[in-house]
Amino acid sequence: MFKQSLMLFLLLAVSTLVGQVEKGSIHIKNGTVLTVTDGVLENTDVVIENGIITRIGKNLKAPSGAKTVDATGQFVMPGIIDAHSHIALDAVNEATHPITAEVRTGDVLDPLDVGIYRALAGGVTATHAMHGSANAIGGQCETIKLRYGTFNPNDLKMEGAPRTIKFALGENPMRVHGEGGGLMSRTRMGIEQVFRRGFSEAQQYLAAQEAYNKNKAANPSAVPPMYDRRLEALGDILKGDIIIHCHSYRADEILMLMNVCKDFGITKLVFQHVNEGFKVAPELAEFGAGASVFADWWAYKFEVYYSTAYNAAILTKNGVVTSINSDSGDYIRHLFHQAGKTQRYGKLTDNEALRLITLNPAIQLGIDDRVGSLEKGKDGDVAIFSAHPLSVYAIPQMTIVDGVVRFDIKEDNNDQRLAPDPEKVDMMMLNYDEDHRCMEGTGEALFHNH
Amino acid sequence: MMKYLLGCICSLLLLLPSGLSAQESAEDRPPVTRAFFLNNAFVVQSPGKVIDLGGVLIRDGLIQAVGKDLKAPADAKVLEADSMYIYAGFIDGLSNLGIPKPKEEERGNRGRGQREYNPSYERAGIQTERSVADMISPTDKSLSEMRAIGFTAAHVVPRGGMLPGQGAVILLDGDKAGKMVVSEGSSLFAQFQGASGVYPNTDMAIMSKFRELYTQARQHKTHGQNYAKNARGMSRPAQNEVLDAFGQSIDGQRAIFFAVDGIKEMYRAISLSKELGFPLALADVTMGQKAIADLKGSSASLFLTLDLPKAKEEGKKGEKEEETDKEKMMLEKQRAAAQQLHEEQAAMLNKAGLSFGFSTLNAKAKDIRPNLERMIKAGLTEDQALAALTTEPARMLGLSDIMGTVEKGKIANLVVTDQPYFAKGSNIRYVFVDGMPSEYEVKKKKKKKPGDPEAKVMAAGDWNLEIDVPMAEMASPTLTIVDEDGSLSGKLVSGMGTQEISDMSLDGDNLTFSYTTEGGGQTVTVSFDLTIDGNSLEGSMSAGSFGSFDVEGDREPKK
Repeated sequence: MFKQSLMLFLLLAVSTLVGQVEKGSIHIKNGTVLTVTDGVLENTDVVIENGIITRIGKNLKAPSGAKTVDATGQFVMPGIIDAHSHIALDAVNEATHPITAEVRTGDVLDPLDVGIYRALAGGVTATHAMHGSANAIGGQCETIKLRYGTFNPNDLKMEGAPRTIKFALGENPMRVHGEGGGLMSRTRMGIEQVFRRGFSEAQQYLAAQEAYNKNKAANPSAVPPMYDRRLEALGDILKGDIIIHCHSYRADEILMLMNVCKDFGITKLVFQHVNEGFKVAPELAEFGAGASVFADWWAYKFEVYYSTAYNAAILTKNGVVTSINSDSGDYIRHLFHQAGKTQRYGKLTDNEALRLITLNPAIQLGIDDRVGSLEKGKDGDVAIFSAHPLSVYAIPQMTIVDGVVRFDIKEDNNDQRLAPDPEKVDMMMLNYDEDHRCMEGTGEALFHNH
Repeated sequence: MMKYLLGCICSLLLLLPSGLSAQESAEDRPPVTRAFFLNNAFVVQSPGKVIDLGGVLIRDGLIQAVGKDLKAPADAKVLEADSMYIYAGFIDGLSNLGIPKPKEEERGNRGRGQREYNPSYERAGIQTERSVADMISPTDKSLSEMRAIGFTAAHVVPRGGMLPGQGAVILLDGDKAGKMVVSEGSSLFAQFQGASGVYPNTDMAIMSKFRELYTQARQHKTHGQNYAKNARGMSRPAQNEVLDAFGQSIDGQRAIFFAVDGIKEMYRAISLSKELGFPLALADVTMGQKAIADLKGSSASLFLTLDLPKAKEEGKKGEKEEETDKEKMMLEKQRAAAQQLHEEQAAMLNKAGLSFGFSTLNAKAKDIRPNLERMIKAGLTEDQALAALTTEPARMLGLSDIMGTVEKGKIANLVVTDQPYFAKGSNIRYVFVDGMPSEYEVKKKKKKKPGDPEAKVMAAGDWNLEIDVPMAEMASPTLTIVDEDGSLSGKLVSGMGTQEISDMSLDGDNLTFSYTTEGGGQTVTVSFDLTIDGNSLEGSMSAGSFGSFDVEGDREPKK
């Protein structure tokens, strides 16, 4: 019996590459707790046990073995979630075909990227590690938790998070494949046909599989259709197993993609950037599509001139689930500032503004049952600020992922790299630049092309 | 037609001289004897097992006898081996030894930047049907370089993209490729090397393509088996030798060898093996100590890289300055720690109970002995190092029966040194491959100081350079130097284009020149500092913020 259970233990130990993720226990005492779903609680404790929030209340008892953090005078909020990021990735664009639905950024995670630590230093605990926007249908994305310190790329994956995929409209896919590569498509009309053709082929593929499955019992000579990962992935979108996150700017194209999705019975759809989203906010709300926007960033190429800083507020007031994202290794540290801008432009309430960087991105990624607010039973992902996070005076103090402190301003060394260059001392710490990686790998990385 | 004829004649002319000389060379005559006798030596049969003052008798390529009190047979050539050390020949776990690099033009033909919807298998770098045994060049100089430091056998793999073909274990000496091959098709080789301009270009596409190919191969195999059983009424499987090549791995019979550049690629390979269920071998492993549990879980055969990050040079004379900047000091400390991580990998894996061999894929012959010394200094014992060079690779390649130790009946691959191999200053005296010795003179230490202003050298000519730079396009350019009455100029031709160089200066044997180029949106000054010695040169190339890279080169013999 002992032998058997030992064997079982060994089997389990070797069969799980993911799953040995470090979890911790922490007692955060006496802070101002911004729950997002249950208002603001003054002088309140948050207790995390083994990675999960177990209690929120006043004068709680510390569980044994838990680390204690005194948050007196400080603000405790759910860890910030960035619904559009390219940090922690070794590759962003597989820019070789208009459709590369089968590739996954989850295969090229970079746990050694110091950008993860920088994001933690801005209170961020989870990001949506996205494929770039070079292709009409790019690769599948990975929702990751910022567990900085591990060398195992798989440890970053947020286990159980739904699958997502990157789509792109407009100038980027037109230029890379149409003008630059001689492939589909040179025009916005053509991009629509890339989607329709891809989905139609996937329908045929699924039908052939279904026919085979029905047939095989009766006919032993039946041969299954040849396995095709691209069509498998497109088929999974049709089946509703994957959430589409689409790079977009113009209202006409946003309407176009919603029409395509309606025609193919696809309902899980989030638009990224959506600078003209304010023009079609009621339509987005009616479809149930999300919108993940910049606070006030535009005019970096022709299709992004018609924009407004009121975009997030207008979308929110129209009932669209809206988030603010960074798409940048630099802005990701300032998402709380970005959220604050919606109070100047659109007069959103504190809670509405906070939702833009917590619960709403969680909903868009399908992880709102786990993160995005401070509630009993949710993951112990927490950011602690010196002042209210929507104040320009707020400074992030501590960032906790799964109950483990991953950033503490008091223990912040200048050099937090996990794998420095063993051959030379490089000065990258002194002169890093903003990372705009949406178009990386397309030969156009020098431009700011989101 | 005329053109064609001319081409034929030209190529004949090229072939002619080498053909003649091969006929007349001494190497083609049968050896006087194939029996050799070494006596009164320390015979290190296997790590830790030494015969003091014993002998080894070699006959017809095999070890015929090992032990004390052996007598030299009358027909055996007796080689001077008094008090020397005899080891089993070293085995390289994975490399391209003896596999020439494709010519620059051929590489250029791959149509950089051209996009295609569905590139052919070949264009995509998927060539599992190829065997490296068809690509061996017995005269490739990498073979003699590695032999000179004790390597006698290697698992070699083809060059190419993500799946360049099947590996083979070869002996590192021989006049015919066929005779060098010990076992063909011993592995399927994979690497994270994307196709330029077409799918699969990035690691994420390589991961996906690998899964697709493997799954299709399984499907293809099942279809073929069913069809063989009962063809009537079944659609016929298409021939596909690319998918066929996965068959033995699907059956668990043949390991897929991944050469990994860094710990992240290593995790990617482990993930694929775990998902798809094929036996895995990892080569050129670095930082393995950060993944011990996962390495154990993968049951992969491990080959650690013999390439280590360059040791920090002691400050050049005259510019020894005390570092006082606190931030720089801390960065330097971090760098030193990162360096140690590489040096102590072997010792740490050993401590954790993992066994491993070594691979030389990215290591230079001249760095290997110093690197082994650094690993030993970082905690690896000499016996462990020897095991990783002999018994462990033999076991992991399934060849323990015929190589890896100095025992009767094994292939006579031996290394003979004047002092223990790992001792400082020890010299290799003989290396036996397949029972035939190469003899090495003890080198007199009279290494010329680099930058001798008195030296008289000639710079003009065509130089084939090897630059240790991580861009394939720039790694092996040709440097042409023209000497017009003492004024030097030239051009550098690489995969990146032709660079004219107007100002070259030669001071004694020290050649320097520089030029500017555009790279990554900025102007970069590239400068070379080379020392010429006869028909070879070495030195460095620095390219602004991109860093400094080692350069070696040989002069192209006059045609």
